[in-house]
Amino acid sequence: MGVPRDPRGAHRSARPPPLFSFIIRRLLGAVGLLLIVSLVTFAIFFLLPRLAGASPDDLATKYVGKAPTAEAVAATKERLGLDDPFPIQYARYVKGIVVGQDYSNGPEVNHCPPPCLGYSFVNNEPVLPTLMDRAPVTLSLAVGAAVLWLIGGVSIGVLSALKRGTVLDRAAMAIALAGVSLPIYFTGLLSLAIFSYWLKIIPSTQYVNFKDDPLEWANHLSLAWITLAFLYAALYARLTRAGMLETLNEDYIRTARAKGLPERTVVVRHALRASLTPILTIFGLDLGLLLGGAVLTESTYSYAGLGTLSISSIEKGDLPMVMGVVLLATVFIVVASLIVDLLYAVVDPRVRLS
Amino acid sequence: MKKTKPIALAAAGLLLTSVLAACGGGDDDTSTGGGGGGGSTAQNDALTKVVNASDKKGGTLRIALSDDFDSLDPGDTYAALQWNFSRLYARALVTFKPVPGTGNLELVPDLATDLGKPSDDGLSWTYTLRPGLKYDDGTPITSKDVKYAVERSNYSKQLQTGPKYFKQYLADPDKYKGPYDDKADFKSIETPDDSTVVFKLSKKFAEFDYLASMPQTAPVPKAKDKGLDYKKAVVSSGPYKIDAYAVGKSLSMSRNPSWDQASDPIRTALPDKIEVQLGQDANDIDNRLLSGGLDLDLAGVGVQVPAQGKILGNTDQKKLSDVSTGGTLSYLALNQTVAPLDNIHCRKAVAYATDKLAAQTAFGGPVTGGQIATTIVPSTVSGYVKADAYPSGPDNHGDVAKAKEELAACGKPNGFDIVMSARSDRPKEMQMQAGLQQGFARVGIKVTFKNAPFSDYITTLHASPDYIHKNKIGIIFTKWGADWPSGFGFLSQIVDSRAIKPSGNSNYQETKNPEVDKLLDQAAETPDKAAREKLYAQIDQTVMAEAGIVPLVYSSQLLYRPASLTNVYVSPAYSGMYDYVHLGVK
Amino acid sequence: MAAPIEVSGSETEAHPEDLLKGVSGKAIEGRSLGQIAWLRLKRDKVALGGGVVVLLLIVIAIVGPWFLQDPLKLNQDLIDTTLQRPKDGFLHSGISKDHWFGVEPTYGADLLARIVKGARVSLLVAFLATILSVVIGSVLGGLAGYFGGWIDTLIARAMDVFLAFPLLLFAIALVGVVPDEVLGLKQNGLRIWVLIFVIGFFNWPYVGRIIRGQALSLREREFVDASRALGAGHFHIFFREILPNLFGPILVYSTLLIPTNILFEAALSFLGVGIIPPEPSWGNMLTLAVPTYQSTPFYMVVPGMAIFITVMAFNLLGDGLRDALDPRAR
Repeated sequence: MGVPRDPRGAHRSARPPPLFSFIIRRLLGAVGLLLIVSLVTFAIFFLLPRLAGASPDDLATKYVGKAPTAEAVAATKERLGLDDPFPIQYARYVKGIVVGQDYSNGPEVNHCPPPCLGYSFVNNEPVLPTLMDRAPVTLSLAVGAAVLWLIGGVSIGVLSALKRGTVLDRAAMAIALAGVSLPIYFTGLLSLAIFSYWLKIIPSTQYVNFKDDPLEWANHLSLAWITLAFLYAALYARLTRAGMLETLNEDYIRTARAKGLPERTVVVRHALRASLTPILTIFGLDLGLLLGGAVLTESTYSYAGLGTLSISSIEKGDLPMVMGVVLLATVFIVVASLIVDLLYAVVDPRVRLS
Repeated sequence: MKKTKPIALAAAGLLLTSVLAACGGGDDDTSTGGGGGGGSTAQNDALTKVVNASDKKGGTLRIALSDDFDSLDPGDTYAALQWNFSRLYARALVTFKPVPGTGNLELVPDLATDLGKPSDDGLSWTYTLRPGLKYDDGTPITSKDVKYAVERSNYSKQLQTGPKYFKQYLADPDKYKGPYDDKADFKSIETPDDSTVVFKLSKKFAEFDYLASMPQTAPVPKAKDKGLDYKKAVVSSGPYKIDAYAVGKSLSMSRNPSWDQASDPIRTALPDKIEVQLGQDANDIDNRLLSGGLDLDLAGVGVQVPAQGKILGNTDQKKLSDVSTGGTLSYLALNQTVAPLDNIHCRKAVAYATDKLAAQTAFGGPVTGGQIATTIVPSTVSGYVKADAYPSGPDNHGDVAKAKEELAACGKPNGFDIVMSARSDRPKEMQMQAGLQQGFARVGIKVTFKNAPFSDYITTLHASPDYIHKNKIGIIFTKWGADWPSGFGFLSQIVDSRAIKPSGNSNYQETKNPEVDKLLDQAAETPDKAAREKLYAQIDQTVMAEAGIVPLVYSSQLLYRPASLTNVYVSPAYSGMYDYVHLGVK
Repeated sequence: MAAPIEVSGSETEAHPEDLLKGVSGKAIEGRSLGQIAWLRLKRDKVALGGGVVVLLLIVIAIVGPWFLQDPLKLNQDLIDTTLQRPKDGFLHSGISKDHWFGVEPTYGADLLARIVKGARVSLLVAFLATILSVVIGSVLGGLAGYFGGWIDTLIARAMDVFLAFPLLLFAIALVGVVPDEVLGLKQNGLRIWVLIFVIGFFNWPYVGRIIRGQALSLREREFVDASRALGAGHFHIFFREILPNLFGPILVYSTLLIPTNILFEAALSFLGVGIIPPEPSWGNMLTLAVPTYQSTPFYMVVPGMAIFITVMAFNLLGDGLRDALDPRAR
């Protein structure tokens, strides 16, 4: 990013990138990352309590229910394999992902095909289907808001940069600064109080399946979209404005203007394109993180997405479910950053995949 | 409280007239059979009579629940709402009488022709099944299925959610390991023929019928059992069969064609369909109830704070609500081994100094919090006798003068330091602690806190006497609800010295009174109900006399019954929620 | 900041690299430039306003609790126990001449006192957590940038791994498994330190990345070469030559990290793993306000505005500082 802009860069076509080997290397890195993340998560839940003095019995007792008799605790401990040493438990988990897992529900044995993320300690539901069940809610929430904030934030940023110093610029930036200073759990509540409770414009925030009724789906998500997009758009507007101001000062923009290119072309093809690169990085990261569970937004608006699933699973000590959400969230982050890197090559031809 | 009651009555009176005037046209197309009134109701009507009594069949009962079921499997559930609701698809041997008021606490035969018949020595209980019972797939229900259901729910290592009372009371010389892992026949449940089941006990237990009322005696056909996955493939023995169950999302039920009204004196099965939406936002449920978009909140624990304001502040809504007692007691257990509470006078000082009104306020006030409690056994449990061993002053903020007297008697006239605990992930309890702390401070009892989240609290930390002793926790807050609505069901786990366990203990105060143990045993062996109830009152008073327990509030809840819901009444047997077996829709 | 990104935190994550570029060498070459920066800051009225608010907040947080009512003192007589809200005041807020911000709806504790006590917790956690991440981040980032080679690879990889963690989840999980007594600390006494650790520890890679970049360019500069030529050891060069020159970016970055950390703490308390009520913190006050926002909306607005004003003030000050230290931004 500190590299001086190359005036010819925007016009020069890049060599065909070694795309395939790049993706392979990144994927391998991702697998390594997932291993580390899963190991750390596992350690937090299994090793830390043990180090803090909890016995396997104590752990098992949590999953027994209201009547933790000694026999029930012993049976649960055995069923969940809590007595095994930490490495064995972890190895069993990884093995489940690779080759699947057999699981006795009592009279019969179920096979959970790979990638098997195990079964909930609390309600014995297989983890992966539960995640897949929750994912659409988070996906709808995140993608809808992302579209809004990207369009809104970038256009406000560009406008502000072009009208630098005007009332419009000052007002937009003041609102943007307010936006980045507001936490979603406050604006969310406020929006609920105003639009849902007093004005009754928005019915409720109960999630409706897109397939069932696209209109209702959008209607029930709109409040969260707008609130979330407002916070992010503020940030993106500030970043776009800063980036635009910087690029507009660059030599090659002056050159382009001197050449007599229309202002529109200068702004969109040259300046905006260059200042989009850092925005894209952050966008990928933001979206990746949101997809892994918009914890605060979901709990504020009570959506049953991955975020609320992770919170409730942590509360109940439902380790396999927590592991599942954390791994899925990490996958989202990794994939998002991979896509961003690939997109770089499209937006900024100077970037070579290496 | 002095204020609210007359207002409520006046409001109800006003309502009656206004509603009668409004109802002139008569859009009320339900028949007026049964005990309910025509179109007009007042607040709390459902406590004593059937509201919107109806025999109109058809329609869809629209239900929502903010959470999921702990399990649909009748053998693997420990939630009061589920014990109530499961009766729509799983019939136990006996159940509670489907009538409003205290009559609801009586047991009546359901799958069986009669209540259990104890043998002369009281060690075996025999039930006979009604003839012609069928599952929804048309196969006959036999006594072997009842036996199997009890075996899987109480002895297998897989199903751990439900209680294990059968395991506790049935003889088990061979250490049976449940039908999944133990191929040997379990000899303590006999099935001499297809319609008779005999339970062999290891000791006398006069209240065995209560165990038979648990959903664990609902028959499960061995061929269809899937263990932990049975909850997704429950075979119905009741009037409704399960069409679809999406875990955490929804449940749809429709009429069970094999169910025969003639074999079932309990249920009327009015709606054609029952739709349950799961995992709904609690406030959203309330809004839909109030706007008529929903018939029932299955949780049965009352509306949330926002809806509470809308209901109590609006005379039209208020008449559609009931304040029911939940059968749960919030109390402070005063551990009798932690100094200085090993001295009875110090315990009494705590009892007198307790600001019960503060506790009531923290839990939600007189309507959704509950009534101030003065006994261990709540008023909706059979065995309750009104008493107040340590009156907490005219305004229920505690009796400071008496507390000081007791402190002097204890040798600590200036008070003492003591540790108190509550569940740290329950905001209301955290608030309550602050309120109680200030109350105790008035007499010099300085309270510090040692809290833990619920799941640890009730299992390994505070439910372990070692932990209590090590951390010198003298005042332990907890809530208790009976597994069955009798003094025995309420008391046996919390005051019996033999119930003290190294973990998962619920005798927090560690009452070790041989007198109490003896009375409990005596009650278990007393066939006569009235005589038993006297014993429960005696136990209650004995424990209160040694100031082991400071009752705070009997829980209560503000229930809402939309006008669309018929045959509504509060069921004291199921924690004061509505009785789910009779509900219908207009 | 990865975790509270939803809390609009990615700002600090995003810009320092872009926006601090100018801070690197020029701005910190001598006292004169520092003075120039100060002159610039003095002219920036908005930033100064932010700074004044920040100072005021700090003073109020430190001395306020001595002048106000006890935040745990209950006024049960002010509450309508049936409807669970204050009896009087605008929108049932309980605002009166004794309670300027109203009272909380369960027991009638004074909200002004609770907000001020909450400010103490919020600012304490945010400041200490910021110091923690800045220290770890500066040292590790500086080492990576200065030494390069395998040290750089190792630290940079570690930062990559950290950046890929869903941090909010981790923070929640970590707080949940901490035993209830550590080194004699328990309850909120312990919680505060756990929060500081969790927030501070998870944020270091963001500081680290920026410092690493700065150090990378610094090590090539003449004065470092000169020092090396004079026979100075790595230790001397790193702590005497490199680190002091990173002061500018570290200062700007810290100022922008504090508001993020305030939001992070509030988020954790909001989700129920932060400060345990009745001890007030802005986040847990919001949580307690959730069930009652329809009947007493004011109870939600007070802590929300407190967070907003504080974070805004820090952001304004941070922006101003950055502009002042960065000649190119004008």
